[in-house]
Amino acid sequence: MSDSPSVHGLRRLMLCMFLRQIDLTTALRPSLLPDETLLFVQDAVGLYEGKYKLPNYQNGHAYLTSHRACYVDNEEPRKHAVAIDLKDVDRPEFYAGFLKSSPKITFYPKASKRASLAARNPSVSHAASSNPITPPESPAPILNGTSDGDDVVASLKFSFRAGGEKVFFERLKGALVQRKWLLQSAPPVPKPSRQSGEYRTSTPGYEERSDAVTERERTVGIAGLERRGIELRKNNELVLGNAFEDLEALMTSAKEIVALAEQFASQANTGTEGSSSEAKALLSQSASALGLVTTRDMLGSSSGSESLYVSELSRNLAEFLTDDAQGLLKREGGIMSLVDLWAVFNRARGGVELVSPMDFEKAAQLWDKLKLPIRLRRFKSGLLVVQGRDRTDEKTVASLLAWLKGLHSKSPSSEVSWDWPRYGRGVTAQEVAERFGWSVGVASEELEMAEERGALCREQGIDGIRFWQNFFIEEPQITMDSALGSDMSNLHV
Amino acid sequence: MATPATLTTTTTTITTTTPPSTFPLPAHTSFPPFYTLQPNLQTRTRQLTLWSSLIQSYCAHHRLAKLTLGSALATPLFRNDALGRRLSLLDARAVLDWMCSAEGGGRAEWLREKSSSSAAAGGAAGSALQKNTCYIYYRTPAEWADLLLGWVESTGQRGAVLTLYELVQGDAVSGMEWEGLDQDVLLKALGVLVKRGRAQVFGGEGSEGVKFF
Repeated sequence: MSDSPSVHGLRRLMLCMFLRQIDLTTALRPSLLPDETLLFVQDAVGLYEGKYKLPNYQNGHAYLTSHRACYVDNEEPRKHAVAIDLKDVDRPEFYAGFLKSSPKITFYPKASKRASLAARNPSVSHAASSNPITPPESPAPILNGTSDGDDVVASLKFSFRAGGEKVFFERLKGALVQRKWLLQSAPPVPKPSRQSGEYRTSTPGYEERSDAVTERERTVGIAGLERRGIELRKNNELVLGNAFEDLEALMTSAKEIVALAEQFASQANTGTEGSSSEAKALLSQSASALGLVTTRDMLGSSSGSESLYVSELSRNLAEFLTDDAQGLLKREGGIMSLVDLWAVFNRARGGVELVSPMDFEKAAQLWDKLKLPIRLRRFKSGLLVVQGRDRTDEKTVASLLAWLKGLHSKSPSSEVSWDWPRYGRGVTAQEVAERFGWSVGVASEELEMAEERGALCREQGIDGIRFWQNFFIEEPQITMDSALGSDMSNLHV
Repeated sequence: MATPATLTTTTTTITTTTPPSTFPLPAHTSFPPFYTLQPNLQTRTRQLTLWSSLIQSYCAHHRLAKLTLGSALATPLFRNDALGRRLSLLDARAVLDWMCSAEGGGRAEWLREKSSSSAAAGGAAGSALQKNTCYIYYRTPAEWADLLLGWVESTGQRGAVLTLYELVQGDAVSGMEWEGLDQDVLLKALGVLVKRGRAQVFGGEGSEGVKFF
């Protein structure tokens, strides 16, 4: 509080060297780097610089990964999403909280980080005004003053207002010991831990990123490109050759890990509080080794963990659906039933930490609230489907009508008794499903929706219902009197 | 959606001198969904209106006062052999029900028939609605009443007494629209005039006379 403005400004400057703005996935979660794995998620977290609350960073999710500690704001996630690279962290400090003061974890930057701060650009928007000019005071006293506490040393605190700090801290320490980021400078593919592709579901954009990393390490110019091409081909050969071997190896180890996880799970249920948290940590590690995303154990054990689990699951699902590499939703014609999604999603989880249908539906219902690009929709029959937010009933009706109108000019395969150039023909849900790549259930629901809107009408035949363009409504309204009147006038002599 | 394929109720031209034996069906009767009652309310209302107007034109063409469902279902009115589609008994009944309703303009009325079962049960109800036979009012009784009254006045027959036979079969009404009108419908029309105080019906059954005021 008694800091001079210049000291305060300086600290802020250091902080923005330390914090980096990060990219988010479509589901507003940090997009992970290759090899990066998610370790823990906790909501109701705020950030402090030293003693002071950082404005706009007071209510968000904390994501601990093997490489970073991230903060994503709840209100404006795209604007206020930052991370600390764990490689820049000198040491973390744990504060258990007292009375009204929430538990906190303090990150102290490394000395090298502090010394080089003037050379780097700030990237956090709120501090953009403070240019990376050489600070008016020498950083030296501050660097040497680690023992002086928060007042002097730039530090960043995560404040845990709804618990979760203990697990976060445990896993943070683990991550700092493991130093997975060192792998980034190791030679890329083929690498036994990566080529089997088990991270694919959890890491959208994995391909591009690993390419980018490779590119940076190669020599530039045509020679570099050529060399890269040769290496890529060699690499492909190797990967293809090992593919089946790897698959078997993966399956074998997966079995072991599943068995291990089950063993821990049973122990965790019977064990005491202390041992169960350890077991949980191991359990989640083994789960993440299988390329799983958020599991129940990855989340804080506070009272809000249930809702946090559901909201994280909700984000997971959104990522899973919109992941370009998978193109799941696109493959399903932009719409699929929730039940189908549940089956596909659980299959992708490899039979571990299956999501219950209840949690699944709850998670899907959160999409609206979390402002994700996916929408849950309930058809009149009660069928729940998943579709992109940009997909509206109007668009669906328009595409159905466009197709039906096209049928006016297409001669039906068999002889028909009606005036087909005028009325086109009726289509079944089966045909619509084939045409648009929907499931038959979805197709009939969409057809009934279009009927409800008056765009289509039906014909009940012996072989089922066919849907036609609605010529009843399109017909110009003729009043009965005028139609009959002419009849009647003819009757008069 | 301005397509050339919109349905039009082609009005049937009927000449009294040489009535064509077959009723020319309007174009929309070749639209297959016409023979399935639509669940969408707006579409359904439009469809029922089309059916109502078709049935009225058909009955006017053939001078039919009533339709009996059992036999009518086999006629070209409800059965389109060229298209291979027909209206089911249930749906036809729904169409006629709608025509009876206020929404349908009261263009039909179910016949109260002596039912053998109710008579056996003690005849308490006397007659019951069987929904088998239905008057089709291509002219409602009130409309017939207006026509009759107009004719009576224009021919200076106010105060005169006419038999019912004369009213529908006499030489004077030859070529008139109500020539050969169903007896029941005629009585309903006269009933309207009685209520209005413009006519009086007297005499026993079979030899009724009517006096216009």
